[in-house]
Amino acid sequence: MFNYKRFALARLSAIGPRWLPFADVASTEVPLSRLLRLSLFQVTVGMALVLLVGTLNRVMIVELKVPASLVAVMLALPLVFAPFRALIGFRSDTFRSALGLRRLPYIFKGTMYQFGGFAIMPFALLVLSGYGEAVDAPRWLGLSAAALAFLLVGAGVHIVQTVGLALATDLVPEEDQPKVVGLMYVMLLVGMILSAFAYGALLETYTPGRLVQVIQGSAVVTIVLNGIAMWKQEARNRERAQAPQPVVRFSDAWARLAARRGMLRLLVVIALGTAGFGMADVLLEPYGGQVLQMTVAQTTRLTVVLATGSLIGFGLASRWLGRGGQPMLVAVMGAAIGVPAFLMVLASAVAGSVALLIAATLAAGFGAGLFGHGTLTATMRTAPRDQIGLSLGAWGAVQTTAAGVAIAVGGAIRDLMLLAPGTTAAGAAPYIPVFALEAALLALALVAAWPLWRQRLDRGQNETSLETKPSAVGQESMVTTEA
Amino acid sequence: MSNDPDKVWPTGLTLREAEEVHSYLIDGTRVFGVIALIAHVLVAVSTPWLG
Repeated sequence: MFNYKRFALARLSAIGPRWLPFADVASTEVPLSRLLRLSLFQVTVGMALVLLVGTLNRVMIVELKVPASLVAVMLALPLVFAPFRALIGFRSDTFRSALGLRRLPYIFKGTMYQFGGFAIMPFALLVLSGYGEAVDAPRWLGLSAAALAFLLVGAGVHIVQTVGLALATDLVPEEDQPKVVGLMYVMLLVGMILSAFAYGALLETYTPGRLVQVIQGSAVVTIVLNGIAMWKQEARNRERAQAPQPVVRFSDAWARLAARRGMLRLLVVIALGTAGFGMADVLLEPYGGQVLQMTVAQTTRLTVVLATGSLIGFGLASRWLGRGGQPMLVAVMGAAIGVPAFLMVLASAVAGSVALLIAATLAAGFGAGLFGHGTLTATMRTAPRDQIGLSLGAWGAVQTTAAGVAIAVGGAIRDLMLLAPGTTAAGAAPYIPVFALEAALLALALVAAWPLWRQRLDRGQNETSLETKPSAVGQESMVTTEA
Repeated sequence: MSNDPDKVWPTGLTLREAEEVHSYLIDGTRVFGVIALIAHVLVAVSTPWLG
């Protein structure tokens, strides 16, 4: 008699492991195609950022007629979660799993939250703006639903980016980390640029139905791209599952990380530098328009120039660091380029020269690229192998908070200066303190980074002086055996 | 199909591993369910259906 059960079992057990989302073995060699696939999670993060900060910012104010102050509060909500990145990273470092997984469960949860937030967001916004029968709906319903949607997307972005970067760091050996950092940054930018174009084209003629389609389409794209990115990336680890980690408290883990030489100083440098570079992000376009009378098309090109500068910065930083350059040196160079760049922005108003402003913008983007790449690589290198999630979480928490606070402070300073008597919107006066503050912050970052760089340089020289001899001998012996 | 009593077919995972995979599935279903519920309430508020 034909044994159906045996046949079915044999067939199922043959296909079974192929359909599980984790790899069976950890490979030592990670090909570029796999890293490219992993970096897709940064595309969805960039997409979410553009949708929140760019597209919805405008749609909520112009089309949905939500008060601008309420929009600002809603968009700032995800920032509330930024400090929790350190906690998320820590939890993923010490996650207890029968499969020995650490990163995959968190990326899955983060993707779910991001998806869920996008899924309810369009309806929440329509209720908030009183569309259709929602005019009679209680006010708290729209407010709480929109807040929930933004919080879910924000939480999802924080979790996916923190744990995704930790997974990328886990996968590659230390000498390949600069390559991965560069790739992650470039993919974030690519995601932001592509989705900015896509959203612009899709929402050209706004209808409530189109809004629902676009935002829910983003939800589906998020889950599909993240699914492709995560598929079979993390190996299951029976050893880790069988030897459960001791219970570590967050405070103890944090104390151990903070006790590492230069870690806290590095975080201070990241905060100062990110705030310095980030403050201009939203003010560069109005500055070009109001002070130098550039057209909308020209100021949009200003943002493209900034992004191009960053891309060149990432590319060069990847090359230098891949050849064994010092991450802190690259970061210091970035900040050192940023100081004159922002002074040049100020000078362009005096000279009335658009060309000078464009050159300054390119230099600022270039400096920001070098600085971002250098500090992230330095964070990866400073972290011990079992605390990568925590330290990348700390990097993300500091970086995101600093950028958010800087943008808010920059805008507030400009608005306060506009309120002051005797200033007009046409003059450069409201912008001068902002750009001067940026240059000052970057100078402070340079001062803070200086001992770190010296120390790294000393340590690096010691290490190389100790290590070059044996390795050189090893190479010679290899050569001789080959010969 | 190994004879290891700890493994369950068809994936060759142990019972605890299989239960963990299952817990992710349950978690996902719960989140999806709650999200769908909220979305339906919001749609019903702005464009009511069934009277």
